[in-house]
Parts: sequence; C-alpha cells; structure tokens
Amino acid sequence: MILTPEVSWLAILPDLVLALGAAAVLLVEVQWHPVTRVLAWVAGGSIAIAAGITVLQWLAASDAVAAGDLGSLTAFSGMILMDGFAIFGRLALLATTALGVAAGWQFFKDLGRRGAEGLALVLLATTGFSIMVASNNLVMLFLGLEVGSIALYVLAGLTREDRKADEAAIKYFLMGSFASAIFIYGVALMYAGTRQLTILGLGDFLSGFIVSSPGVILIGIGLIVVGLGFKVSAAPFHTWAPDVYQGAPAGIVGYMAGVAKIAGFAAISRILLTAVDDFEASFLPAIAGIAVLSMLLGSVLALVQSDVRRMLAYSGVAHAGFIMTGVVGTSTDGILFYLLAYAIQLVGAFAVVAAVSGSSGSGSALSEYRGLSRRSPVLAGSLTVLLLGMAGLPLTSGFVAKFGVFADAWFNGYEWLVIVAVLASVIAFAFYLRIIVIMYMEDDESALIEVPGVVRLVLGIAVVATLVWGIIPSSLLDVVADALPL
Amino acid sequence: MTLADYLPIAVMLVLAAGFVAVSLIASRFFRPDRPTPEKLDPYECGIVPEVEPSQRFPVKFYLVAMLFVIFDVEIIFLFAWGAIWTELGWFGVAAVAIFTFFVLETLAYVWKRGALDWNVKRRARYIQPDVQEAA
Repeated sequence: MILTPEVSWLAILPDLVLALGAAAVLLVEVQWHPVTRVLAWVAGGSIAIAAGITVLQWLAASDAVAAGDLGSLTAFSGMILMDGFAIFGRLALLATTALGVAAGWQFFKDLGRRGAEGLALVLLATTGFSIMVASNNLVMLFLGLEVGSIALYVLAGLTREDRKADEAAIKYFLMGSFASAIFIYGVALMYAGTRQLTILGLGDFLSGFIVSSPGVILIGIGLIVVGLGFKVSAAPFHTWAPDVYQGAPAGIVGYMAGVAKIAGFAAISRILLTAVDDFEASFLPAIAGIAVLSMLLGSVLALVQSDVRRMLAYSGVAHAGFIMTGVVGTSTDGILFYLLAYAIQLVGAFAVVAAVSGSSGSGSALSEYRGLSRRSPVLAGSLTVLLLGMAGLPLTSGFVAKFGVFADAWFNGYEWLVIVAVLASVIAFAFYLRIIVIMYMEDDESALIEVPGVVRLVLGIAVVATLVWGIIPSSLLDVVADALPL
Repeated sequence: MTLADYLPIAVMLVLAAGFVAVSLIASRFFRPDRPTPEKLDPYECGIVPEVEPSQRFPVKFYLVAMLFVIFDVEIIFLFAWGAIWTELGWFGVAAVAIFTFFVLETLAYVWKRGALDWNVKRRARYIQPDVQEAA
C-alpha cells in the first residue's frame, strides 16, 4: 500500500491560480490574439485572486494560532507550511509582482505578440518563489527555486534583438544554475548528516540529538548559504548582479531583483533560524562576515558607477548585506519588514529607470538623468523619495527597516557589525545623493518625458508605501510581528 | 563496504585503460602508413562526401527535438503512474491530470503559434505582430 499525502487545496491554491493564470494568458493569446491589455487583465486577475486566497490563508492561520492548533499550519503531510512567515512572504511576492507587471507594462506592450510569453513567465516565476517561501521540505524548496529562477533567466533575455540582454541572460543562467547545484549539494549533505529533509524535522532532530561529528552538517549549511547567497546577490557571490541589472530589460529588472531577494532571504532565514538554529554559534560569524563584505563592497563600488542600473545593482548588494545583518539578529520580523519595504522601493526605482531610458533597452547612463526635475518633476520627485528610502533617511520605511535589523543584531551581541553597518549606510548615502544632485542641480535641454498613467500609479503606491511605513511604522510592524515561522 | 571491496573495479579500470593504450600504441608502430586524400576524408558510409560538413542547416530540427524531449519525459512519468495507478487512487489521478493539463496546454500553445509547422516561412506568419495595440 502506498501512502498518499493528505491534500489541502487551500495551501497550494494561490500557486495553482498563478500557474493556471500563466496557462490562460498563453491560451487566450494564441486563440483570440487580443490587444495586450486583455492579457494584462487575465494576469492581473490571477494575481488578485491569488492574493485574495492568501489573505484567507492569513486569517485561517491567525485563527489556528489563536486556538493553539499548530498542526493545521502544515499541509501535504508536512511538505507545505501555512505559517504567518510563509503567508506574509507570499503576500510580499504578490505585491511585488503586481507592481512589477504594472511598472513593466510598456515592456510587455513593446514585445507585441510575445508579450504573452513575458506575462506568463512573470506569473510562473512568482509561482515558483511562492512555493519556495512556503515549503517545509528542502527538495520542494529547490523545485520552487528552480521554477522561479529559470523563468527569470528567460525574462532577462526576452528582448531577442539586444545583445546586452543576451549577455545578461547567459550570465544569469550560468551563475544561477551553478548556484542551484551548490545549494542542492548542500541539501544532500544535510540529508547525509541527519537523514532529515524537512526544515521542521531538521530542527527537531538537531535539538533532540547531540551530533558528535557535525562536520558534514556544517559543510551542508555552508553550501546552502553559498547557493542562496548567489540568488540574493550577497558579496562575494554578487558578480553577476551588475551585468544582469544593466542588460536585462529595464521594465522588468525591478520585479526580477525584488522577488529573487524576497524568496532567497525567506529561504535563508527559514533554514538558518528554524532548521539548524542549534549551530548558530558556528555559522553566525560567517553570516556576519558575508554581511560586512556585502555592505562595504556594495556601498563602495556603487560610488564609482556611471550607470544608474549598475549603481542600483551594487546598492542591492549592500542591501543584501543589511538584510544579512537581520539574519545575524536571528529575528525574522525585521527581515520581512526590510524585504517588503526594499522590494517596493526597487520596483519603483526601476519604473523610473524604464521611463527615462526606455523599457526594453539596456544601460542607463547617469548623464541621462541630468535635469530630470525639469523634464519630469513626477519621475524626479518619486525617485528622490525612493532613493532616500533606500538610503534609510528617517521618516521613510528604509529607516525603520534598517533600525529593526540593526537593533536585532545589536541585542544578539554583534555590536561591531552594527557599527560597520551604520558606516556603510553613510557611504551609501553618498551615491544616492549623487543621483539626486544630478537630477536637481544640473541643467539639460532634452525634451520633456511623458509618464504613462500606469507608471504614475506604481510610483504613487511605492512613494506612499515608503512614506507611510516610515511615518507610521506600526502599520506594517504589527503585521510582521504576527508573521512568525513555525 | 570497505575500500578493499572496490579493488576489482580499480583493477578492471586499469586493465581497460591499459588495453586501449597498448593496442593504439602497438598498431601505430606495426601498421603500414600510406595516406591518400580519399583516405583522409571524413568517413561518410563509404560515399564520397559532396558538401563540407560545416554548412548551415535549418534550426527547425532543434525545435522538434525539444518538443520531442518534453513529450518523451511526459510519457516516462505516465508509465510509472500507469504501473501502480490502482494503488495511488484518486490522488494519483488528480496529480496526473494536473500534470497532463499543463503539458497539453503547452502543446496547444506551440501548435497555435506554428511551432509544428515545418514550413519556416509559414511559421514566421504566426510570430509577426499582426495585432497592433493603440498607443
């Protein structure tokens, strides 16, 4: 007799809706050849339905926690988790996806008949990452990681005419599959050391038994951190990021970077802080080292870039370091706050990049932003707010996010790391201010820029989110405080 | 299993590599060596080659090969399910139905997009943007 897992449709319904949405986009396109707007409604509808179901999951999970019924938070015989952490991660992914599709709208339109493929790939990438944040089994997590990553590799090279985009796609693909191989090798070593594949099972095993020779487990942890470190572009595994951010179509880079960071860090914090937390004394110094390297390298190298997209890539490396500081602080709510705030700022910033230098092209020289405050006050104003948010100015969500992860690390005994992080934030201020100075203080006689309504909407949402979460942080802090991993 | 159990495999490896090396080196010394242009040509079923091998050939073979691989892999999964489907019950039916739906959906899509059309010119018709969205 074969034991089949118990089926809980609610647990996977958001992912199923997204995958069916991707299929529907493709089939509607080949059957009726509608204008691209119709496809956007199909894609947007499936994102909205998935988000609605996820909210239902959130309510069900809150009820279960209130009733003390923690068993109902696992589904599919312990394959899928429905704890607050997974559901919040999924909501953050869906919000980033909705904003990303809207910000990249011009890109999908320019693709013409292939716009449906772009939309379907976006939905599939979100499906994969959504499985990744919700999976309890390391092999399931790997499957989600691959579904999401492979869709992103194709998205990076979707504009066939552009050689820079081809280069970005190939680099992303090679480095990414290399990282996936390293990750799955780490999973294999974890299994070899403990005979456990589930995150909760690993946690129980390691707290229940004393492992006399933990070498194989420690190497496994190391390989998993390296593999996921590639995906979130933490130094020294960041080398692909600048080329990919620069070469991939501008309309979609913000989305790609945002979802990869959310899913990658959700997986890192779940594995490190739930599964192998008994080895914290061994791996936290290494994580702190990665954090220091990412923050300093990202901030310093961003200073010398002459391309806004490369600058945002190196700032992404620095942000990976700041979020790693939160991992060192061993508290997940600070990480979740940071991820959502940063992903939304990133999508907004790249919406501006796409509006300034074309949504399907590659590269975005700093000189193109000269006098942007005159050519388009909307773009300049919102980019200023978003960059100040990334820099971590008080009264923006970036400040609350940085304060949260720094405080966690400080109280976990890593005072030196927080001091380095604050220094890196000061360096980072310099290059964010450089863009703002160029936009406002230098003149340029180029033509005015028309900003489409949908981009205005995305920028409005991103700016409002950055300011509201900065001025009234409790509006999001109260939510992430409930988003605890099992 | 101790390391000593692998000794026969190591011996076999050495023997196989040695046989290849000895026969290649020995024949290099003993065989007659009288090359002619015909003998140095690439071997093509004994027929004189008519064209250079490095010519360009249509990439449509690649597309068909890719589609073949997808459906080949699908069949592999279906065989495994078919062997034990009574034991898996409705769970297996549902899982295979979802899986098959997505594969068939792919088939419908590539078919409609003209990927199965052998005539490259006719296929291009599908890919050209014939619907222009109002700006």
